[in-house]
Amino acid sequence: MATSALRTQVSTKFNESIHKLLAGTNTGGRAWTYTLDYLRPYDLKDRAALLRPKAGFDQAKLREALVTLHHSRQLGPLGEAFLEDVRKAFPLIEREINHYMATYEQTQDPDVFRQLLSRLRDWYNAWKPPNACAPSTSPPHQPIPNAPEPSLGLVFVLDYTQAFQTRLFASLPPSFAAGLKHLANLCLSPESHPPRVGRNGEPIDMGKTWTDVDVLGLLDRYESVISSVAFESIEKRVAETCPGKWDQPMLASLRLWMSQTVVQWMLEVFVRPYHPKGDVQPILSNIGTRFDYHVNKALCDVRISEIWDIIIDYPDTLAALEDLRECLTRVDERGALVKALRKQNATRLLHPGADTKVILGQYVSTIKCLRIIDPPGVLLYKVADPIRQYLRERPDTIRCIVASLVGDDESGDSLIEDNEPIQPIQQPEAEDYSDQNWDPEPIDAGPEFKTNKPSDVISTLVSIYDSKDLFVKELQVLLAQRLLAIKNNDMERIDKERRNIEILKIRFGEAALQVCEVMLRDMDDSKRTDGRVQDQKKSVVHPTIISHHFWPSLESSDLIMPGQFQGLQDSYAKEFSKFKPDKKLKWLPHLGLVTIGLELEDRTLNVDVPPLEAAFIELFSQRDVWTLDDLIPLCRRRGQERGCESADDVGEYGRTERADGEFVCVVGEGGGGRGDEGHSSLSTHALPAPTAAPNLPPVQTVQQQQAAQMHVHWKFVEGMLTNLGSLPLDRIHTMLKFAPGYDMTVDQLGSFMEAARREGLVVNQGGQWKLNR
Amino acid sequence: MDQVTSSLAARSSQKTSAAAPPQQSAGSVAKRLSNELMTLMMSASPGISAFPKNDGNLFEWVGTIEGPSETIYADLTFRISISFPSNYPYVAPTIKFDTPCYHPNVDIASGAICLDILQDKWSAVYSVQTILLSLQSLLGEPNNNSPLNPEAASLWSKPQEFKAKLMHYYKPITADSS
Repeated sequence: MATSALRTQVSTKFNESIHKLLAGTNTGGRAWTYTLDYLRPYDLKDRAALLRPKAGFDQAKLREALVTLHHSRQLGPLGEAFLEDVRKAFPLIEREINHYMATYEQTQDPDVFRQLLSRLRDWYNAWKPPNACAPSTSPPHQPIPNAPEPSLGLVFVLDYTQAFQTRLFASLPPSFAAGLKHLANLCLSPESHPPRVGRNGEPIDMGKTWTDVDVLGLLDRYESVISSVAFESIEKRVAETCPGKWDQPMLASLRLWMSQTVVQWMLEVFVRPYHPKGDVQPILSNIGTRFDYHVNKALCDVRISEIWDIIIDYPDTLAALEDLRECLTRVDERGALVKALRKQNATRLLHPGADTKVILGQYVSTIKCLRIIDPPGVLLYKVADPIRQYLRERPDTIRCIVASLVGDDESGDSLIEDNEPIQPIQQPEAEDYSDQNWDPEPIDAGPEFKTNKPSDVISTLVSIYDSKDLFVKELQVLLAQRLLAIKNNDMERIDKERRNIEILKIRFGEAALQVCEVMLRDMDDSKRTDGRVQDQKKSVVHPTIISHHFWPSLESSDLIMPGQFQGLQDSYAKEFSKFKPDKKLKWLPHLGLVTIGLELEDRTLNVDVPPLEAAFIELFSQRDVWTLDDLIPLCRRRGQERGCESADDVGEYGRTERADGEFVCVVGEGGGGRGDEGHSSLSTHALPAPTAAPNLPPVQTVQQQQAAQMHVHWKFVEGMLTNLGSLPLDRIHTMLKFAPGYDMTVDQLGSFMEAARREGLVVNQGGQWKLNR
Repeated sequence: MDQVTSSLAARSSQKTSAAAPPQQSAGSVAKRLSNELMTLMMSASPGISAFPKNDGNLFEWVGTIEGPSETIYADLTFRISISFPSNYPYVAPTIKFDTPCYHPNVDIASGAICLDILQDKWSAVYSVQTILLSLQSLLGEPNNNSPLNPEAASLWSKPQEFKAKLMHYYKPITADSS
C-alpha cells in the first residue's frame, strides 16, 4: 500500500510548517530582521550611514541569527530580500553615475571618468555582503538531508555581484563606452595625452583603475570596445608609417612596435596580479593573435590600395611585395587584391591614352610582381586576363613585342632583362599524368586556370596570341625595315641584325626564322653582286638586291626616274643580267637615296635626298620654270599631292616659289642636280633619309597585308553571292575555303559581313546574306 | 585536303567515260581550277562571274553572264552551269544555260550551247574567264550559220519580233534560284 509513504510525506510537510511557524514567530523573526538590517545597502553620501560601522554588529549574534535562519531554511528568501533591497537602493548609484557622466561629457576629462569608476567600485564594495558572515563554521547537523549547505558565502556574493552588475550595465549611459575607450586610449598612447597625473598632482595609478574596471565586470562586457582602441591604434600606426614606403620591409618593424606598445598595454589592461597564471595565458594569446592578424590586415589593405603604383616602381618595391606576400598568407585578401588591381588596370592602363609599350611594360612588371606574391600564378592569371585581352585588340602589340625582342635602339628600357637566360618559347603543354611532383591547383584557381611552370616573360607575352606565326611574320617586316634602313652596306649593323636573329632563333626555333636568314643573306649577296657588276662597269648605282619571294611585300610605285637616273638604272640592269642571266631586276627607285651635289650661284651643297626629289632637282637644271602639270607626267606619279610635296621639299635645298601651280627655281642657274658629280648611291631599296618628308613605311605592315587579304575575301564573297544567290553565314564560311589564305573564324566572318552590310554592299534577310542591288 | 579527296571522288566516278590523259593527278586539276577561280575573282571583268556550286567540289560551277549593253540582251542576266571533266583543261568543260535563252546558238529547251571553242576549237590555254567572255560576246554576235535554234536565227534580223520571243522565254534570276 502506498499509504505508508504518503503518511511519511504528509508528516514531514507538517513538521516543516510547524518549524517555519515557530521561527517566524519568535527567534526566526528577530534573526531575519537583524541580518537584513546588517546587509541593507546604504547611501555612501549619507554621513550617518557611513559612520555606522558594520563592526557595530555583533559577530556572534550575527552568526547565531544566520544559523537560526539556516535551520529554518530562510537563507534563500533572505538573499532575495537582500537583492530586492539592492534594487531599491540602486537609484542612489544611478544618480551618481549620471552626475559623473554629465561632468565627463562636458569636460571630456578622463580623470572624471576614472573617479567614476573608482566610486562605483566603492559602492560595490560597500554593499557587498561580507564573507565573514558566512556560516562556514555552522554545525554540520542537518535536519533534512537533501537541503543545501547553509551559506551566506560565495553563492551569496556571486548572486550579489551578478545583480549589481546587471543593474549597473542597465543604468550606464551610451557615452560610457566612449569614456572607457578614451581611458584605454590614454593608457595606450600616453604621449598624445596629458601626463598621468591627477588633478592634485599625485600620480595616477592606472593599474587600480583597471582593477576597478575588472571588479565591476566591465572588462568582460566592454572588451570589444577596449580592443578596438588597440585596433585603431594599429591602423593609425600603419597609416602613418607604411603608405609609400615600399623600399623596406614594414611588417617586422610593425611587429616590433606592437610588442613594445600594444602588448605592454594589453598586459596593463587585461592582466591583474590576482589572476591565476593559467587564466592569463589563453587570454593573451587569443587577443595577441587577433592583434597580429589586424596588423597584417591593415598593412595588406594599405598595400592593396597601392598595388598598382608598387608594380610601376618595381623592382624598387621588392620589400613591399614581400610584406604583402607574408600578409596574404595570414589574411585572405587575395580576392580584394585581384579586384583592386583589375580595377586600377581598367581605369589607368587599358585605355586608348596609354601607349602599347607602356601597357606591355606594366604587364611585364605585373608578371614579375605577382610571381613574388603568389608563385603558383593564380593571381597573375586572374589579373592578366583583361590585359591580355586588351593587348590582343591593339594593332601594334606584336610590333612592340617584336621590337623589344630585337632590342630596338630607340626604346631605352627593353622588356627583357639582359641577364635573363634566353630560352625557347614554351608552348602550353598537356598535363603530364606521370609527374611525381604534381601539386593540386591552388584552391582559388578558376576552372580555366592552368598550372604552368614559371616560364620566362617573353614566352608569356608571346602566348597572348594563339600562335607564334604572327610574331614571326611581324619580325620579318621589322627586319626588312631595319635592313633597308642600313645605308652604304654598313656591315656592322648587318652583323648586329644577324646576331639578333641568332638569339631569336633560340626562342622561336630555327625553322621559323628561315626567311629572316634568307633576307640577311640577300644583304650579303647584293654587296657581292654589286662588287662584281662594278668590276665590269663602274656605276654610281649601288642597289640592294632582294628576293621577291622571301621579303615582305614592299610598297610598289609607278615612279619612273627621269633623265640620267633612268639611264643609270638601265645600264646597271644590263650588266646585272649578264652576270645573272636567269634573274631580272625590278627597280623600286622610290626607296632609294641619292647623294647629289648642288652647284648654286653662291655656294655648293652636298645633300642626301630621296630619289623623287633628286629627280625634280634634275629637271630644274633643264628649265627654270616648271608647272606641276608638266612635272607629273615626267615622273608618272599618281596624284598631284605627292608631286606638290616633293616640289616643296626641293625648296629646302634650292628655293622654289609656288605661284599658281608654277615652280620657279629661284636660286642660281646651273643649280640643277649634276648627280654624277657627287657620289650617287642609288640603292634599289633603302629607307629615305630621316630628313625626307614623305616618309611612308616602305614595307607593308601586317595590317596592310591583312587589308589586302580582306579585299581578296570580299571578292570571293561577291563572286559567290552573285552566282549562288543568297547564302547563310556558315555556307559562306565553308565556301570561302576556296580563297587562298582564308583563316577567319565564323565570328570574324560575321563581323566582316556586318561591316560590308554597313557599307551597303550586302543585305541580310533572315540569316541569308545577299548582294545589295 | 578535302579538295583532293573530293576531286578524287569525282574522278573515279567519271573514270570510265574519260579516257584521255588518264595519268594526270586530280590534285593538279583542282589546283588549276582554284587558280582560275582566284584569277576570275580578282579580275574586274564586268558582267561575268562564276563560282563553285558547293564547297569541297571544284568541278561544278555556277556562272552569271549579263547581256552586253547595246545588244538585244542588254539588262538581262543569264545563269549558266559549268561542269569540268576530270581531265580538264585537256577537255573543254560542259556548259549550258540554266536561264532559258532565246539565241540562235543556244538550244532553248536543254540550254546546250553551240560555240566552237567549247567543242573542236578547245585549247588548254582557255580558262573559265575566256569562256565566259566568249559567251558574253556570243550573245551580241551569234553565229547564224550553225544555229541550234533555227527559228531564232531566222528572226535575228527582226529585232522587234526577236525581243518579243526572247522576253517570252526569259525568266529573271531570283535571289535564291541557286
